[in-house]
Amino acid sequence: MPDWKREIRNRLTSLQIEPAREAGIIEEFAEHLEDRYQELLSGGVDETAARKIVMRELESAEFLPDALPARERAPRPEPVPQGETSSGNPFADFGRDLRYGLRALCKTPLFTFVAVLTLALGIGANTTVFTIINSLLLHPLPVTEPSRLVAVCGTQAKGSKQAGGLLPLSYADFQDYASRQTAFSGMSAFTPILAMTLERATGPQRVFGELVTGSYFEALGISPAAGRFFSRDETAVGASAPVAVISYNAWKGKFGGAGDVVGHTLEINNVAVTVIGVAPPGFLGVSAIFGPDLWLPSALCEQLFPAEFHNALTDRSKTVFHVVARLKAGVARSQAQTSLEPLAAALRNTYPEADEARTVTVRPITDELYWGAGGGSSIVLSSVVLLVIVALVLAIACSNVASLLLARAAARRHEIAVRLAVGASRGRLVRQSLTESILLSLLSCAAGLGIGYAGCRLLWSFSPPEVAQNLLEPKLDQTVFTLAFLVSLVTAFAFGLMPALRSSKADVLDALKEDTRGAGRGRRAVSFSNLVLVGQIAFSFVSLVTAALFLRGVQRAYNMDPGFQTQHLAVFMMNPGQTGYGEARTKDFYRTIQERVSTLPGVASASWAYNMPFWASASRAISIERREPRKKSETITTIVNTVDTNYFETMAIPVVRGRVFTDADRDGTLPAAVINQELAEKYWPGREALGHRFLLAGDKTPRQVIGIVRTTNYTTLGEKAQPCVYLPLRQNFSNGMTLYVRSKADPGGILAGVQAKIRRFDPNVEVSDVRTGPKMIGQVLWAPRIAVALLGVFGSLALALASVGLYGVMAYSVNRRRREIGLRMALGASRGRVLGHVLRNGLTLVWIGVGVGLGASLLLGRALSRMLFGISSTDLISLAGASLVLILVAFVACYFPARAAARVDPMVALRDI
Amino acid sequence: MEPENADREWKKGSAELLILSLLEQQSRHGYEICKLIEVRSGGALRFHVTTLYPLLYRLEERGFVQGKWIEKPEQRRRRYYSLTPQGRKVLAHQRQSWREFVAAISRIVEPENA
Repeated sequence: MPDWKREIRNRLTSLQIEPAREAGIIEEFAEHLEDRYQELLSGGVDETAARKIVMRELESAEFLPDALPARERAPRPEPVPQGETSSGNPFADFGRDLRYGLRALCKTPLFTFVAVLTLALGIGANTTVFTIINSLLLHPLPVTEPSRLVAVCGTQAKGSKQAGGLLPLSYADFQDYASRQTAFSGMSAFTPILAMTLERATGPQRVFGELVTGSYFEALGISPAAGRFFSRDETAVGASAPVAVISYNAWKGKFGGAGDVVGHTLEINNVAVTVIGVAPPGFLGVSAIFGPDLWLPSALCEQLFPAEFHNALTDRSKTVFHVVARLKAGVARSQAQTSLEPLAAALRNTYPEADEARTVTVRPITDELYWGAGGGSSIVLSSVVLLVIVALVLAIACSNVASLLLARAAARRHEIAVRLAVGASRGRLVRQSLTESILLSLLSCAAGLGIGYAGCRLLWSFSPPEVAQNLLEPKLDQTVFTLAFLVSLVTAFAFGLMPALRSSKADVLDALKEDTRGAGRGRRAVSFSNLVLVGQIAFSFVSLVTAALFLRGVQRAYNMDPGFQTQHLAVFMMNPGQTGYGEARTKDFYRTIQERVSTLPGVASASWAYNMPFWASASRAISIERREPRKKSETITTIVNTVDTNYFETMAIPVVRGRVFTDADRDGTLPAAVINQELAEKYWPGREALGHRFLLAGDKTPRQVIGIVRTTNYTTLGEKAQPCVYLPLRQNFSNGMTLYVRSKADPGGILAGVQAKIRRFDPNVEVSDVRTGPKMIGQVLWAPRIAVALLGVFGSLALALASVGLYGVMAYSVNRRRREIGLRMALGASRGRVLGHVLRNGLTLVWIGVGVGLGASLLLGRALSRMLFGISSTDLISLAGASLVLILVAFVACYFPARAAARVDPMVALRDI
Repeated sequence: MEPENADREWKKGSAELLILSLLEQQSRHGYEICKLIEVRSGGALRFHVTTLYPLLYRLEERGFVQGKWIEKPEQRRRRYYSLTPQGRKVLAHQRQSWREFVAAISRIVEPENA
């Protein structure tokens, strides 16, 4: 027996009759149809025919809506604003609009879902980027009145810009400035972050520490999370009881958040220090990105680092202290600068040897915050680029939701016309539409914040785990919430206003006369959405091309030759000096480890060097003996690396001329140096550099050039050539060195063996920062890899959204042209021709979009060329790849509406006329 | 006007009267009403489910008829419609108007009146 009830229920669904009443109607109709069916059967009609007849009768007239009494439909009022005028109470009106809006959204769950998802992705991308910018640029220092903080740096008296370096100050100079200055309410010095060894029951552990002068925390204006900060006695030179303040993250992580951590004694670099306090959460010292685990008084520097900080508190040539100061209220940075200049001049006169040509400059604190991260300006630039990208992604999302709303408004045009006809004002209708948009955007805002949070977590999960506790942690704070909320409101107007205005403009008479099925946007509306669509495709194309260019750049960078071998390289950082070893024992340690590791199976050679690969930067000035001293503005700084014998062999750096270090280059023999080609060409252009002598800043005796080696990369991959000086370890002792091991095969295979060997020889020395060559390359390329990931994600997002938009416009246009297509087919057009025709229409838009995008991406590519590791902005593979992906996706988006068009039944389509 | 449309218009105008008339003597269910209209009109008038019930619901809404689910032995549960006192008055009124209307029309369209 046919399921009459189901047939009837299907037809009643759209009427939304109150359930009990609906059940009654269904039962009554089903009885009737069954009676009619039985009657036909008993009249000799077969079952199929009988069923057909009954069904035809069911279809024979407009189904219930026209005839059904109003009461049946009353329980759910239409979401379109009714004709009533404002109640006079804006809050009551808003509440009513809100209820209508909510019902309207619930009534069309698919529309609501797609719109909210689209907007949430856009808002989420913006939240992610803004959260990072908020933590990194807007609120980098959790201190009181950060705008009054400045950095005080040393610089060359003349032509400081050309010399390029903003240098730290010596401790003694800092003390002189601090005691005589009048512009600052507080002034404090601190060292760069130093790796230290913390002795624990489980063995030595590497921690990061900063040595700071007494008033450090007071000058910054922060309060401890637990305990207290340094007192004056504790920071004085020769203080009896060494103390330390630990960071909040170290307390929570390394010390498990123990309540009794204050008063705890730690053994740092063989010195027992007592923890007296915990810094507040989020405080990374004077850095926006990377913070230490603990702070120690600067007076302890010689105790903690006997070699590196030897005489650092008295020797004015040892410039290792960065200075932060708080301007007095009402004092400008330039005034502070002016007030310090006479002090600098006095120091130059008093200590001509050390402070000759030196002065100080007062810089914005941001120079210090982003020190080591390429400076504030490059971070601001990257942030702006990212913000623009995510803003465009959001714009695409908005235009798609606007298209959806327009299509929906078209479907409701008839009803809206009725409302207008019975007296609703246009303003009232627009307000109702906008309320619905705001509701949509608020839902999206909530979802977007979730996506933003997940996005930040995901990005940060890429950071190296061993330093994750020291890194800035982006947080969704009030600023982010406020911004997301504001963005959502703006978004609501961006996507809601146009559809609201357009739909409320319905011409009452036209719309009422017109069959609702034929109602829709006019030609102008369609061409406007075409224009928007071309823009979307162009933007998706640009994002995809940029992502592809970065990807190709990174790929190339992986294969770039840094000038030394990385495939069979492993490095191990050690600091026997921090274990309390004297110079003799440390030297013995270096020699023995080199010998023993070299003989391990799988190891080709081993050597020591002070610098880690890609961690060096030009820091020491150099002057040539028997040569007219260069102008101060032309001072050349060089990278200095202390290396042991076998270093160049281990690293496979070719020797161009002369020789490399041997066992003979030891204390007491002629001070020797190997330089790179860049330095040789810079200082001895067209002449032989071998045999010449030069003086490094801070050295008393000159060194002789004994060899010239090929220039390699020292700071990053593909960098501009930098001068470099290599000094022999045996003439230039250091407490901590990095062991470089060249393996015969994959370096991953020898890591455990080498570490075991070191531990067997001396279990007290901690081996940290164990890395293989390929891993180091990966770390160097961290930033461009993140760029590839972000651009890839945002580019794909843009493409996905644009495809949805393309699909929507195509589907809408096909639906609008059903009759035309039906007529064409009735007149003999084949399905294939119709399919081709519709596809061509859609793909024309795609081609125009790709054309516009191509132009834009060529321009953008040129601007980005510096970051592409030599990949040209016209790289054919990137352009072709992006075009292919985009056209494929666009084809799919056009295909389904086109197929639907080709399946239009000419009869059905024509019957609609 | 095409014949089919004309039929529809006539039905609309007279349908309420037909239904009220059929319910005057006894209560009936929808299918019975349909069949009676078809049989008594000699097949000239035919109501389908989608035209009949909306009319019945509207009459009920206006208080002219009352529907009630009744279960008779050996039969399925059915909804029977009966005239309300108000419906009776309306029927009398409509019947009178109809007669006057038909008479008036007849005077115009019948050949003997020409």
